[in-house]
Amino acid sequence: MEHFDLVVIGAGPGGYPAAIRGAQLGAKVAIVEREQIGGTCLNWGCIPTKTLIAASGLFAEMKHAQRFGIRAGALGVDFASLMQHKKNVVSQLQNGVKQLLKANNVTVLDGSASFSGRNSLRITGAGGTTEISAAKTIVATGSTSIMPGFLPKDDKVVDSRAFLSMEKLPTSMIVLGGGYIGCELACMAAQLGTNVTIVELLEDILLLVDEDIRREIRKHMQEALGIQILTGKAFANVTADGNSVRGMAGDVTVQGELLLASVGRRPVTDGLAMENAGLKTDGKGFLTVDDYGRTSATTIYAIGDVTGRIQLAHSATSQGVIAAENACTRKLRKFENLVPAVIFTAPEAAYVGLSEQAAAALGLGVKVGKFPFRALGRALAAGQADGFVKLIADATSGRLLGAAVVGLHATDLISEAAVAIRNEMTLDDIGGTIHAHPTFGELWMEAAHAAQGHAIHAAPVKRRA
Amino acid sequence: MAQAQQVLMPKFGQMVEESTIITWRKKEGDKIATGDILFEIETDKANMEVESFLDGTLLKVLVKEGQTVAVQTPVAFVGSPGDSIPDVKVQVLTPGEKKQPAESTARAATPAHSVADTSLILPASAPAPQVPLALVAPPGKLLISPRASKLAREKVIDPVTIKGTGPRGRIVERDVVGHLEKSGYNSLRITPAALKLAAKEGIDILSARPQSPGGRIEIADVERAMAELPRQMSKMRQTIAQRLTQSFTTTPHIYVTVEADMTDLMVFRASLKEKGLSYTVTDFIMKAVVDSLVEFPDVNSSTDGRAVRWHSNVNLGLAVSVDKGLVVPVVRSAQNLSLAELHDRAAELAARARDGKLMPDEMTGGTFTISNMGMMNVENFSAIINPGESAILAVASAARKPAVKGDQVVVRSMMKMTVSADHRIVDGALAAQFVNSIKTKLEDVESWNTLI
Repeated sequence: MEHFDLVVIGAGPGGYPAAIRGAQLGAKVAIVEREQIGGTCLNWGCIPTKTLIAASGLFAEMKHAQRFGIRAGALGVDFASLMQHKKNVVSQLQNGVKQLLKANNVTVLDGSASFSGRNSLRITGAGGTTEISAAKTIVATGSTSIMPGFLPKDDKVVDSRAFLSMEKLPTSMIVLGGGYIGCELACMAAQLGTNVTIVELLEDILLLVDEDIRREIRKHMQEALGIQILTGKAFANVTADGNSVRGMAGDVTVQGELLLASVGRRPVTDGLAMENAGLKTDGKGFLTVDDYGRTSATTIYAIGDVTGRIQLAHSATSQGVIAAENACTRKLRKFENLVPAVIFTAPEAAYVGLSEQAAAALGLGVKVGKFPFRALGRALAAGQADGFVKLIADATSGRLLGAAVVGLHATDLISEAAVAIRNEMTLDDIGGTIHAHPTFGELWMEAAHAAQGHAIHAAPVKRRA
Repeated sequence: MAQAQQVLMPKFGQMVEESTIITWRKKEGDKIATGDILFEIETDKANMEVESFLDGTLLKVLVKEGQTVAVQTPVAFVGSPGDSIPDVKVQVLTPGEKKQPAESTARAATPAHSVADTSLILPASAPAPQVPLALVAPPGKLLISPRASKLAREKVIDPVTIKGTGPRGRIVERDVVGHLEKSGYNSLRITPAALKLAAKEGIDILSARPQSPGGRIEIADVERAMAELPRQMSKMRQTIAQRLTQSFTTTPHIYVTVEADMTDLMVFRASLKEKGLSYTVTDFIMKAVVDSLVEFPDVNSSTDGRAVRWHSNVNLGLAVSVDKGLVVPVVRSAQNLSLAELHDRAAELAARARDGKLMPDEMTGGTFTISNMGMMNVENFSAIINPGESAILAVASAARKPAVKGDQVVVRSMMKMTVSADHRIVDGALAAQFVNSIKTKLEDVESWNTLI
């Protein structure tokens, strides 16, 4: 039986960095993957959606290029070529990861892992079953889409993974669930010409973000992209026939060629035989871990979606690296707790730290500085004046507590705010740093000034006597 | 135009000379009616809510939250909007405002305040509570040059511990610079918000020890340093401290422990419960104690070391644990009360004690106290006598354990009780007789039958 210092189960965005970090620390590492190296993120999530969104965004841009004096000819989308491009991107990135694992001497085991004990695993692949022993194990098996039981079993009723491998774009579709995955794919399809209807049970879409940001996104989705958004309504009586899916959202009949279910994700733990290792899960089946990634079984760690903490690839990556360090060294490090979130809707949005509504719920005294894209030279030059940034800071010390942005490049802009918040910076630190002109980064500097009541490029706030 | 009416700081009981407003429930401009809770006060005995006896609008608040004033001092004005408000100067006994930020000497100075303030709230004869020496500010003002003071403030350090080399030991700039070098200040890494917080709260940044792996001082480190600073205790806590210290250091205690067999009494109590009569174990202990105090009058006495005074009434104190402290409501003339009356009175006092609704006079004048930790799973403990009394009974948990009955070892519910007595007037033999009297009464179920 071959022995490894560290075995990582799952080669997604949490698992493969954990394996590489373990190898860097001198451990003999194996990584087990039963599907594709790169996991959901690389193969059926972040990367393929962003490839399609890049295309849909460009297509939408070109339709409005007249304002730059650009006359494009007959515009059209060759969906098959686009999907081929997506495939190329995925395979290029996947090869990159494979080479990195190889360069770090990580043994890749194709197959599914199941615990036969706390320190032993059975790997079942195409070539049969092998038994390995592991001093430490990191479970990074991720999550998969939830398919609500009331939906008919039909090939026109799909989850995000199946949606991303379809051969032609539907002319109309229903998106069930207005979370960030549903909204991103809705925007993408709408920009490419699909008629989209979103049905959300809660009172609004994207409820995790502040109301002012939601309003901005929702406005663009409805007015510019023509997406129909039905909120506060349960979707019922769903049926599928030869060429369409239909159902009732309240008293509105909704119909589409396709139904995309994006109502949440559940942990992947099937086949792990966790009971053999003494692993415990919570009521929803997520593996419970502490702030150091330790499960109920010593020597076994878990990270990423399967822990149900924060279901974001970059959070899993950070947790994977930290868990590998905790497993392979004598030092214990806590998981990072500041996780930026990015939403690739049209327009993009992103946030990090406390939202205004969360600060209010905690009863914190805060000051908020907002600055609109429309007052920024660079944004006007780029022809995209919608959106704003927002800084939330402690009212007395000016310590940054949260930041949010909606508008062009929002998902890139958020990183500056994340660095500032993690390093306990204040409004003075952002406002006092020279930000290059003309750039979108200036938005943060202006927002910091606005929070302190002295924005240069905004009219003074009138104070009531 | 009418004149607004005064709201006075009420006088709760004979012993209370002054009170502190903790919270205003109404703010200026609010409509109020008779019976509305206006504000909450803290005395050295308890916290209490104060109701309005007036109708109208709260026009002006004279005494802010955190400020202490003598009883009968006006604290606010109530009337109709537009009423004239007399110009009244209120003498505030403690400054309620928080200390000024960035005042590097403020931290050392605060405890000095507390010594002065505390002496005001205690009876004039009581000694001021002991404050650890390290917390007392050096006499007089810190001798420091303006430049040195400015540098210390900029660097967010407390100059109090720096040794001055200027004239008369004055701290000058080079002393601060030397202190910074010696303490490795320049190699410190501090997050901007952590430095700002330390400056605002008057925390010496050198006292914030970094815990993050990077060794950088972060907000959490400053908050820990803040949490470690000495805080003034609540008035209740200070009173407890002062009274216990006084008793323990001036009264020679003697401790005598007995173990009572509660088995039969428990059975008897359960049988009463079936009949719909609900008594607690404490009720029986109270009754046994009261009867024993009548039998042993020397225990229901007190001494100042020269004279001894017998108390004709048994005023029975009951220690009740409340949020962050302890109060001792007193059942007066307990020797005149039946078991049922004792039960009712004790239950009512304990309930109000937990709600913070006891009046100060209900917590004074005790002659003997019972401290019952029966619910706390303790084997045995001893208590400190309340000042002005000569004994206290510490009641531990009743537990099933092997006991000898006749010549047999049997399982019985045994409960230890320890009397602490003032050895100046209670000899060991008397303490033993007294505590055995309580034990005998508790074990004599026949006699309880006659009392129900």
